Amino acid sequence: MITNYIKIAFRNIRKNKLFSFINVISLAIGISASFVIGLMVYYDFTFDKFHKDGSLIYRITTQYSSAEGESYNYGVSVPLIAEVKQSVTGIQLATSFFTIEPSKVMNASFSKPFNNPEKVIYADTNFFKFLDYDFLAGNAITAIDAPNKVVLTESRAKKYFPNKSYNAIIGETLVYDDSVSTKVTAIVANFKERTDFTFEEIISVETGKQSYMKDQILDENWNSTSSSTQLFIKLNSEKSVSAVKTQLNELAKKNASEYSIKYNEHRTFKLQPLNELHFGGNYGVFDFSEYKADRAILYSLLCIAAFLLLLGCINFINLNTAQATQRAKEIGIRKTLGSSKKQLVFQFLWETFLLNVFAGMLSIGLAALLLKVFAGFIPEGLHFSLFANPLIIGFAVLLIIIITFLSGFYPALVLSSFKPVSVLKNSVFSTNSHISLRKGLIVFQFIIAQVFIIATIAVGKQIHFLMEKDMGFKTNAITYIRTPWMDSSIEKRQLLLEKLKTIPQIEKVSLGGSPPASFNTHATNVLYLDGKKEIRSNIELLYGDENYLKLYNIKLLAGRALLNDTIHEYIINDTYRKTLGFKTPQEAINKMVGEGKNAVPIVGVMADFNQRSLKLNIEPMAFIGDWNRKGYSQLNTIHLQLNETDSRNWSTVIDKVEDAWKTIYPESEFKMDFVDNTVAKFYEKESSMTKLLNWATVLSVLISCLGLLGLVIYTTERRVKEIGIRKILGASLLQLNLLLCKDFLILIGIAFLIATPIAWYGVHNWLQGYANRTSLSWWIFVICGLGIVLLALVIMSIKTLSTASENPAKSLRNE
Amino acid sequence: MLLELNHIFKWVSQGGSRVFLLKDINLLVEEGEFISIMGPSGSGKSTLLNVIGMLDGFQEGEYNFLDQSVHSLKEKKRSQLYKEYIGFVFQAYHLIDELTVYENIETPLLYKNVKASERKALVADMLDRFNIVGKKDLFPSQLSGGQQQLVGIARALIAKPKLILADEPTGNLNSKQSEEIMELFKELNQEGVTIIQATHSELNAAYGSRTIHLLDGGRDNI
Repeated sequence: MITNYIKIAFRNIRKNKLFSFINVISLAIGISASFVIGLMVYYDFTFDKFHKDGSLIYRITTQYSSAEGESYNYGVSVPLIAEVKQSVTGIQLATSFFTIEPSKVMNASFSKPFNNPEKVIYADTNFFKFLDYDFLAGNAITAIDAPNKVVLTESRAKKYFPNKSYNAIIGETLVYDDSVSTKVTAIVANFKERTDFTFEEIISVETGKQSYMKDQILDENWNSTSSSTQLFIKLNSEKSVSAVKTQLNELAKKNASEYSIKYNEHRTFKLQPLNELHFGGNYGVFDFSEYKADRAILYSLLCIAAFLLLLGCINFINLNTAQATQRAKEIGIRKTLGSSKKQLVFQFLWETFLLNVFAGMLSIGLAALLLKVFAGFIPEGLHFSLFANPLIIGFAVLLIIIITFLSGFYPALVLSSFKPVSVLKNSVFSTNSHISLRKGLIVFQFIIAQVFIIATIAVGKQIHFLMEKDMGFKTNAITYIRTPWMDSSIEKRQLLLEKLKTIPQIEKVSLGGSPPASFNTHATNVLYLDGKKEIRSNIELLYGDENYLKLYNIKLLAGRALLNDTIHEYIINDTYRKTLGFKTPQEAINKMVGEGKNAVPIVGVMADFNQRSLKLNIEPMAFIGDWNRKGYSQLNTIHLQLNETDSRNWSTVIDKVEDAWKTIYPESEFKMDFVDNTVAKFYEKESSMTKLLNWATVLSVLISCLGLLGLVIYTTERRVKEIGIRKILGASLLQLNLLLCKDFLILIGIAFLIATPIAWYGVHNWLQGYANRTSLSWWIFVICGLGIVLLALVIMSIKTLSTASENPAKSLRNE
Repeated sequence: MLLELNHIFKWVSQGGSRVFLLKDINLLVEEGEFISIMGPSGSGKSTLLNVIGMLDGFQEGEYNFLDQSVHSLKEKKRSQLYKEYIGFVFQAYHLIDELTVYENIETPLLYKNVKASERKALVADMLDRFNIVGKKDLFPSQLSGGQQQLVGIARALIAKPKLILADEPTGNLNSKQSEEIMELFKELNQEGVTIIQATHSELNAAYGSRTIHLLDGGRDNI
């Protein structure tokens, strides 16, 4: 029976090549999108599932709440570690580690040091009890139980010592940053499963006390928190969660600073379950983790996949119910031959299933393509090979079965319900009863397509607006180089600065901190007493020498520039001036900010500029010199103004800059960034979102139009006789075309009317997240409406014009 | 007794008044009969055949088929009944275009859940008997009208029905083909199959053992 079903299905598919093609393509698009998105969801939801007692593992994080809102840090203050290990009950094991960024690592056998080894930590002795590493050489107990010991992973060991056996590597000395000497005590296998614990070099924490991290590791201040200080605990049982929470709350309360009590700021230590780690939420994963999975993005991707699938299914339902008349005869005969309704439903479902299997096979190829398209969202570890996973295969089969039912069940019911008598009587048979359903489905398809179109245009407009909007400072032809942070010598930086000044194509140079807009922020809390009340505000700090503001073309509204680059003076921005309550910039000059010996005069007011993405507001800010030069100089970046008109020669200039760099920092990597590139990076999320929307739009419009084409072909063919008669009566080609397209155009019009408010609402809400936003102009909607009508007309005319121009004698002859 | 119709009425309402398709039809058919139904177009021949074949219902009257009262049976039971005992032959052959000759003949067996090996044997017998073995892999569009009707009859017979209902089986055929088909029916009837055919042609009606004349939905004379 089944072979018979499959055979008939094959012949029917072959007979209606065009319809089958439309069906398969529309379904394949939806299925392939679902494959890829399903893969991404699966990938992100299967991180760190393999740890023993994973449900008992938590990371302790810090949350601050104050009147201004909440802020988060995924590290803790160092004294908490000892407190948790010693006195908190309900915990079977706790481990702490510090993520670090050594600038180089050296061994006697290396010809030159490895720069910037990544994923290095200082860990306590519990670390290897906490995570189940597989020891390829050495053992867990003595691995990091004393100073100057390091454990390497398999991959790192192969990188450093490519030709040595693991046992021979044990005992080798690795020197970090020329000062911290360690002996390799063990080699562990990298975790095979997906994990965020991707550390490569694990050094005993005792070693860290000899390094630049000494101050942090030995820190006894309860109120300084670094995200590099990581504390993980394993509970006795799931029941002890609340008891541990209570104890942590008490610790936070007991050790609150006077300051936070005075200003009503609260700190709480939070328990972050292991399975939340990968998604981060308000937190990051670890300092060096670049990719952060985002549930919101995954959910919107799932929505897109669902919509595309739905559109494909709608095409299927529409085309098959429309075609029903052509199969009515077959159904009638089968019924008289003794087929039950159930058997017919099965037959049609098999046919649908077969089409879906074709679509599924096609989708595997398409999915490979889509993986490239979605590359911006896809984590590096996700490969096409994940398709071989039995769970994914199971999901794919299930998906195809579900779609088979979704798309095939209704048409199967419609087809199998035909009465044999009415079919066999040869009475002209119409499927008008299902026309309103088909109309509804078309409207639905075009609503989705048009919402996508409007959203795409509006988001594109907003991003264009953000990119084009003046940041408030010059971004063209400005580059910056960060000097190696391990080398704190200000003299070397000034020497480099002098060397760069001699390169003729460089117009201006300045030594400063980060560029005016960057991902780095320095902030401080300052107090201003205006005689009556105190104004305490958080201000961002921007560091630079006397040339900095000139180089970035930031205007002074009042006052003067800094006298020199170490003097304690403020140049505040206009926003801070308003916060302080001065009516004019002039009024702020010479006022003192801060108390007692920390009081600093305002010597100038600079124009406002955006410090970060234009999504955010301009924050109060002060431009200052290098106040802490003796301790730690903040002027670590050299800013260069290149000749704007001479961009062709920039590469030679960059080479010259690199040569100068090599004479001063021969061992460090040279890296130059353009300010406008840095600014563009603020909008990475937006630009990948645009890409995604573009694809969703193209695909949804494509599927909808294919469906439309199919229906137009079908309805037009059924009206050939009518067209012939009308033509004989004198109708023109244009009139005939309009007649044939009219019904569909009305449907698209209805879809437009429904789509507009939905799209407006969605985009309007999205725009609320931006401090600087473009207007939702009327022309966006007009373009969308006209565009889709035009597109639909073109597609429909492909068929209607050719039918209308046929010789009526031909179409009427058969009657 | 194979089947019995008592006072069958069938009508449609048109503009408030009833238009009768069948009016007070009484008919008793014994097993082994060969009945011809004659009458002009629109006299209700096809409707009567459809009612007998249980493809169509009626408003009033009784219909007993092999001692079961069809009028009180549920749809499902009724289709089981005709699946078991009745084969249909149509004027327009009504072969399934997508299936080969072999598959067309096989189809009723599929719906009766006959085993594959048995199916093969039965279809082979039928092909043999009708001399169409060489055509078994052709599609209906590749056959002449007479050949198509042969396949149609073969298909109707494959499930070994007690009754064959033929609605103008030769209406689309030329006279030579017609004669062949009618000879075949006669042969089948002699083998014990009950046949009821609707026809325009006196010549064809003559093959039957009994002729019923219809006029405007009612028996003209007996």
